[in-house]
Amino acid sequence: MDGRIDVSGRNLTLFGKFTVKDLSKVTKALEQIPPGEAVIDFQHCTTMDSGIAARFWSFYENRKMKGKRVSLRNTSPDLTAIFDRFEEIDKIPPPFGSRKTLKYHFADIGDKVAESWYTVSGLCTFTSRAFRSLFTGKFRGSMTAYYMEQSGVMAVPIVVTLNWLMGVVLGYQAGYQMSQFGAELFMPALLAYSICWEIGPMMTAVLVAGRSGSAFAAEIGTMKVRQEIDALEVMGFNLYGYVVTPKMIALFVVMPLLVTLANFAGMAGGLAAGGVFLGMPPEVYIAEARKALIPFDLYWGIIKSVFYSAIIAITGSYMGMRVRGGPAAVGKATTSAVVVSIFLVILVDALLSLVFVHLRPGLTL
Amino acid sequence: MSDKIIQVDSLTGGYEDQIVLQNVTMDVIKGEVLVVVGRSGCGKSTILRYLIGLMKPISGRILFDGKDIWQSHETLTHARRRWGVLFQSGALLGNLTVLENVMLPMAEFTKLTRSEMTDVAMSKLEMVGMIHAVYEKPLEISGGMQKRAALARAMALDPEVLFFDEPSAGLDPVTSAELDRTILSVNRSLGTTLIIVTHELASIFAISDRVVMLDPDEKGIIATGEVKTLAEKSDDKRVLDFFGRKTGD
Repeated sequence: MDGRIDVSGRNLTLFGKFTVKDLSKVTKALEQIPPGEAVIDFQHCTTMDSGIAARFWSFYENRKMKGKRVSLRNTSPDLTAIFDRFEEIDKIPPPFGSRKTLKYHFADIGDKVAESWYTVSGLCTFTSRAFRSLFTGKFRGSMTAYYMEQSGVMAVPIVVTLNWLMGVVLGYQAGYQMSQFGAELFMPALLAYSICWEIGPMMTAVLVAGRSGSAFAAEIGTMKVRQEIDALEVMGFNLYGYVVTPKMIALFVVMPLLVTLANFAGMAGGLAAGGVFLGMPPEVYIAEARKALIPFDLYWGIIKSVFYSAIIAITGSYMGMRVRGGPAAVGKATTSAVVVSIFLVILVDALLSLVFVHLRPGLTL
Repeated sequence: MSDKIIQVDSLTGGYEDQIVLQNVTMDVIKGEVLVVVGRSGCGKSTILRYLIGLMKPISGRILFDGKDIWQSHETLTHARRRWGVLFQSGALLGNLTVLENVMLPMAEFTKLTRSEMTDVAMSKLEMVGMIHAVYEKPLEISGGMQKRAALARAMALDPEVLFFDEPSAGLDPVTSAELDRTILSVNRSLGTTLIIVTHELASIFAISDRVVMLDPDEKGIIATGEVKTLAEKSDDKRVLDFFGRKTGD
């Protein structure tokens, strides 16, 4: 027999069988009981599952907290046992973290600060070990070539395309604004200078961090999850030499090449924008750009790319090495690798620009 | 010369603020098959991680052939060259073929030519019954085959001691029994000392010379001895309960 509920004033009587399917019916019936004391009679209730019992128990507890008594009458031995269990469960104190007290929030802030400190100090230690193995470890040619292909050759289309588009957009924007006061002839100089100093190296670093930094973290993280890193360690391998160094060397080689390509692609984009939107002949654009640039401007991007290579390879590898637990941790590691790499690239770029801008011949601030 | 190849001396260890092993002392005799058993959470895999040098003891020592493995970087490296480990997942490198995985330790630590390494690797793979899948990548073969290949890799440098972490985990009973026979044949034919962490009763009865039983409440060893003796004559209820499922008591 399906469950039936009679509500009469403060009295609620149950008849028949109740399962979790009857939850809405039970909830409506409980809502009909006016605030204050109540009597629930289970005498004619043949069966009740723990879901429905839990709903009656929360009703009982809510009224009890408001100082109102709810009488649960004629409960069967099974139901009594369920309610006794709920009562026991209610006595268990909640875990520390579930109560958002002031103490909890301070502890949480402390935990986050400590965690950040461990990340930074761990990254520093990891960097020093990675560089030590770079100079003391065995050179692994085939692995290095593999990463050069993955991080360099495979990245050429995206690096060239995006930097060309950046050149087009910047060329058009700069040219349009400068043409307002008849200075569009200076657009090639502005574009060439800004691309070689900032846009080319930075865009390339962001793209490589997104492609290769995340791939390094995912690869190493998966190796951690599958115990391959443990296996290499107990076999006596130099982990840094085997796992990190080939990635570093590969980026040291390919990043300067990618940055050079990016610079030329960006300037080519500016040339296209100049031709299409400003009617500037290519030979004029090239001549103006050459007048503005000196070899140092091209070398500068290459110098910065070496720093970026180290940042991307080391951060990606470090985040992969920190993976603990299952596959979900690998996803988090890849996200962290990209975010931290890009943050560090921008930070280092700012520092390098401040320090080394004075090295450019003929430039005074 | 001592017949003890590994000595665990008052080892205390665990994770962050949780002590899993407290003051554990045990020996491993050369040539024996020692099986470390116990309920889930008793520290079986943890003690293995200490034995193979993946974790540094909070206190106590692990001696390999009489030398503390943590005495210096050299002692740890030296010990690692003399043992092999079969991890629960096999832990073959996914980007290499089975053959390349087995050749990996030789390529790193010996001056053998490529053809010599191939010969040695093939012989190890033949020993574990994996000669038919040497050019496959690990993800292209079954779990049982991965473990066999990982066993071949662990044996590549003819180690004196082989460690196994739950070798039967995830395998069906038939494959598990086959792997047990392969493991035992390594011990019987080469005299390699085997240390196996498992809670598979069938494997324990099939291959162990001696059993060490850990308990999560004691955080250490509660029984040691031959499996049949422990299962039938132990006066410790926890030991009898553990083996009870097999003996039907």
